[in-house]
Amino acid sequence: MKIVEKSSKKQDIEFKPNIVCFCCNWCSYAGADLAGVSRFQYPASIRIIRVMCSGRVEPAFILKSFKDNIDGVLVTGCHIGDCHYISGNEFTKDRFEQLTKILKFLGLEDRFRLEWISASEGKKFAELITTFTNQIKKLGPLNNI
Amino acid sequence: MSKSKKSSQKSQTDDLIGAVLVIGGGIAGIQASLDLTEMGFKVFLVEKTPSIGGRMAQLDKTFPTNDCSLCILAPKMVEIFRNPNIELMTYSEVIEVSGHVGHFYIKILKKPRYVDENKCTGCGDCASKCPKIEAPNIFDMNLGKRKSIYIPFPQAVPPVYLIDSDMCLFLNKGVCKVCERICEAQAINFEQKPEEVQIEVGAIIVAIGFDMLASKLPDNWGYKYENVITSLEYERILCASGPFEGHVLRLSDEKEPQKIAFIQCAGSRDFHIGIPYCSSVCCMYIAKEAIITKEHSNSSECYIFRHDLRAYGKNFYEYTQRAQDEYGVKYFNSKISKIVEDPETKDLIIHYEDLNDGKFNDLRANLVILATPLVPSEDSEKVAKILGINIDKYKFFKEKTLYDKLSSVREGIFLCGFCQGPLDIPETVADASGVANKVSTLLYPVRNTLLKEKVVSVPEKKINLEDEPCIGVMICHCGINIGKYVDVPQVVEYIKTLPNVNITVDNLYSCSSDSQTSIKELIAEYDLNRFIVASCTPRTHEKLFQETCEEAGLNKYLFEMVNIRDQCSWVHMEQKVDGTKKAKDLIEMAVAKSRLLKPQKESKLPITSEALIIGGGISGLSATLNIAKQGFTTHLVEKESQLGGNLNNLYQIFPGYQKASEFLEPFVNKVKSHSNINIYLNSNITEIRGYIGNYDVIITTKGNKVNNIKVGIIIVATGSKELIPETIYNYKKEKNVITQLELEQKLRKENIEWLDNIKSITFILCVNSRQKKGITYCSNICCTNALKNINILKKLKPDLALILIYRDLQMSKKGNEEFYRDSRKNALFLRYSLDKLPIISKTQNRKFNYKITLFEHNLKGDVEFYSDLIILATPMIAPENFKELSKMLKVPQDQSGFFLEAHVKLRPIDFATDGVFLCGCAHWPKNIQESIAQANGAAGRAIRILGAKEMKTSGLVAEVIEDYCIGCGKCADVCPYNAIELIEVEKTFEDYTLRLKKSNVNSALCKGCGTCGVQCPNSAIIIKHFSFKQINAMIEAYLKN
Repeated sequence: MKIVEKSSKKQDIEFKPNIVCFCCNWCSYAGADLAGVSRFQYPASIRIIRVMCSGRVEPAFILKSFKDNIDGVLVTGCHIGDCHYISGNEFTKDRFEQLTKILKFLGLEDRFRLEWISASEGKKFAELITTFTNQIKKLGPLNNI
Repeated sequence: MSKSKKSSQKSQTDDLIGAVLVIGGGIAGIQASLDLTEMGFKVFLVEKTPSIGGRMAQLDKTFPTNDCSLCILAPKMVEIFRNPNIELMTYSEVIEVSGHVGHFYIKILKKPRYVDENKCTGCGDCASKCPKIEAPNIFDMNLGKRKSIYIPFPQAVPPVYLIDSDMCLFLNKGVCKVCERICEAQAINFEQKPEEVQIEVGAIIVAIGFDMLASKLPDNWGYKYENVITSLEYERILCASGPFEGHVLRLSDEKEPQKIAFIQCAGSRDFHIGIPYCSSVCCMYIAKEAIITKEHSNSSECYIFRHDLRAYGKNFYEYTQRAQDEYGVKYFNSKISKIVEDPETKDLIIHYEDLNDGKFNDLRANLVILATPLVPSEDSEKVAKILGINIDKYKFFKEKTLYDKLSSVREGIFLCGFCQGPLDIPETVADASGVANKVSTLLYPVRNTLLKEKVVSVPEKKINLEDEPCIGVMICHCGINIGKYVDVPQVVEYIKTLPNVNITVDNLYSCSSDSQTSIKELIAEYDLNRFIVASCTPRTHEKLFQETCEEAGLNKYLFEMVNIRDQCSWVHMEQKVDGTKKAKDLIEMAVAKSRLLKPQKESKLPITSEALIIGGGISGLSATLNIAKQGFTTHLVEKESQLGGNLNNLYQIFPGYQKASEFLEPFVNKVKSHSNINIYLNSNITEIRGYIGNYDVIITTKGNKVNNIKVGIIIVATGSKELIPETIYNYKKEKNVITQLELEQKLRKENIEWLDNIKSITFILCVNSRQKKGITYCSNICCTNALKNINILKKLKPDLALILIYRDLQMSKKGNEEFYRDSRKNALFLRYSLDKLPIISKTQNRKFNYKITLFEHNLKGDVEFYSDLIILATPMIAPENFKELSKMLKVPQDQSGFFLEAHVKLRPIDFATDGVFLCGCAHWPKNIQESIAQANGAAGRAIRILGAKEMKTSGLVAEVIEDYCIGCGKCADVCPYNAIELIEVEKTFEDYTLRLKKSNVNSALCKGCGTCGVQCPNSAIIIKHFSFKQINAMIEAYLKN
């Protein structure tokens, strides 16, 4: 698999990134719901995939996303120590530290982020999506050749 | 029915009936009924109006989260309707009660609907053809119109029409009968007569709620003018299914008002011609209505005329600040003299006194909303007479004692919700669970004697994995919550084109009971083997839809939910095109997953019928006693050397002025002497493992004694503590600057010699609470506590000068306003604001210790006075050790450090984690009365589980594919629940047998987190419902088109 970046040269069509965001059922998904309940607005660039725990997210899902031309991937879970499944997110942390090394090798590390969001951090969720979307916008679309 | 009315010779237990009558189908009656059936009792729910739902169903949104009111209520209404152990009797009234506690005889009058409830399908054909149209719509507070054959509101339960006998042409003039001709179900029956039904029950719960009688207001409030409306009328106007379909319009010209004025305390807290008490909820719902108004129309101007700002609950004060800072709502600290109409423009002119500067001003508004008093239901006197219970001077039902507000004066009859005194929704819900617990304490010997098992009439459909997926999709408008920001028809058209999607429909509210019927019909009609609902969040609604699917014979794991409201329409309110695209993608991704869904099985687990209560204060003691009384072993853990918590530091308690020690003693004695209770003093919890029904807990007592116990449920009642104001008002150095608790301890000494040299005492309220930063909340109990202490001090030393400096006085709830007015004679009350704090300086004056300087708004200058003792009312805060406990229990804390409940409105005493409950000050600062009521509630929630013998486990677990497993054991290493073990398996090949190690998942222990599946190097573990293939398919579907 060879992945090459192509910056968006055409300014006339605004680039709208496509981002996948994995949320754990107990903290970050609830945080995303709270963003809604509080009506914190953010760009419509993400598609949330709900899993029970961030520990369920396989590094392969991230590679698969990039392979399918998705411009950015977020993995979110409970804060360390708050995991509903006691320690699931600690494994998440280890796994994605490893994956980041591979992503660096592929030049994709800026298109991936791991964040901890609690059920009460609706604002933080909205801000994360806004800043990450802007970051991906700057990087431009990901093209798979 | 037995003819003998009294069986007095028999022992009471023989005579007990395992059924309960609940009068009133609002949120209080609904919650109590649901809890009671889970505890093992049959329920007769009697509601006067044609539908359950009560006042909460009429609200547009709820504070402080702006949750859609009906969205969170409708699932509960539907649950009532489906529960085989609840006999729902709407449009009915209790007319006679006889018998005694444990065995009452009840006569109920069912009013004629003229529509057969069993035949009506709720299709509405009759109403569309009914020629009469001038009946005022009662559900819309008479603002809209309805036909004389009608359903009260679209989500009504039962979803059945009825005929208004006052309006119907046939019933009044003998002509018409159009509905009878049009009704295909032949449900119309003009021959119906009032019907008397007799039942027998063991206990009665009264939950008849409140009314809002604006028409009785004095003239100066201007309610007679068209553009002056009540807040409940305004709720209907704001609501998407209300008279103006969610457009904010005024009545005179149906135009959008620009300037909207909200008047708080309109007719309440008035000792002359109005209602003397404070209705408790108006400050908050007015802030909510103003915020929602600004959301509807950002250019509108909202003015709130307030007196005191009573925002005393969790996140309440912050909410009112947000209304001002973020939404630009303007508050006037004011008193209204009158409201008059400009006859030409129909605008209103509000004459008011600005209490900040004492000036009289006028404000012209296009629309005025009055927060009129909430008064006991007009039936309260009649109901009290029928039941043989008392009402108080306000016509609320009278509680048995000040600290047992859930019991009426008659044994076996209990009170719940607003009919006992002003309450908000979470308090009502907690009380409903508490009242269910009271009933259970009375009737537990006959638990499960009258219950029916829930029978699913449609057998589960067999799904072969090779069958072609056949998917149904329902897309919800959620009123305007989704429909306004996402182009739903366009989404429907798109989803229809997807492979395997056989039917796509949209509707106004997917959560309503008629929608559940249509889901079932769709599954049957199109022979669907998968179903998807795109609406709100699965966190609140997945269970409802799963149950509906089960009733249609579809395994609940073949249902999938898409969140297009909380995570789409609500966060993209100004991106309709992109939001619509997102909704399409999300549903398409769910369709991709749905194709690969498999039916799953659930197994059953035994439950340990023992309880653990953490904290031995008044809440913990109450919860412990309640559970132990019902026959369950209860472990009570207290970190101090004695039981009683904060009560050990108090002198006399509010509102009864009993000595705290005397009040506490019987509680402690009962707990100590009860054979079902184990007490662990000087002890801490050091480890908690397990899950609902099966917790292993280690309790460590001082001196390192370790106890291992097994319990089924845990109640957190760890209380809170008073903030020590280290850096404020020189507290650390000055021995005559003390906190309220330190004052209580002085008073406890009995010997009051310390008062001899004191001539003047100043109380300062809101010290370090309700700040802009740091502690932003109101601590709820300091005001009443300070006034109580003022009254005590005045009695001890009548010539004492007492001064109270306050910001807003929190005197909501029944009786507190009068208590406050009465206390005014004992002290000088002075107001201060956050930007001009009082200053305390030491004096050289021999007579007094301190000089207090305070800015007086009316005088527009500083006033000075002297005192010997300063009492600081600091807030209650969450102790540090909450953090540790929160980690051990895996339950969250809120931003202030208190424990965070599962849902602020409808699950106020549950945690999101099953089997763990919450009560008392660990949840939020509250007084003794409220703590006891909430502890009752927590006990009730716990009894539901303890009383059941077993419980279902989830189908969301991991499964090992044995052939792929290489026995490396990596999965077992990462499993946090020790649910995986390596077992030896014999494998026979052609000519030899091998013993191989293979992983094995214990599905009772597995919680389905899925981390083992990721760890497995050989993809040998399937995480059910979140499998590799399913998630991959979702990713693939995203950019496919």
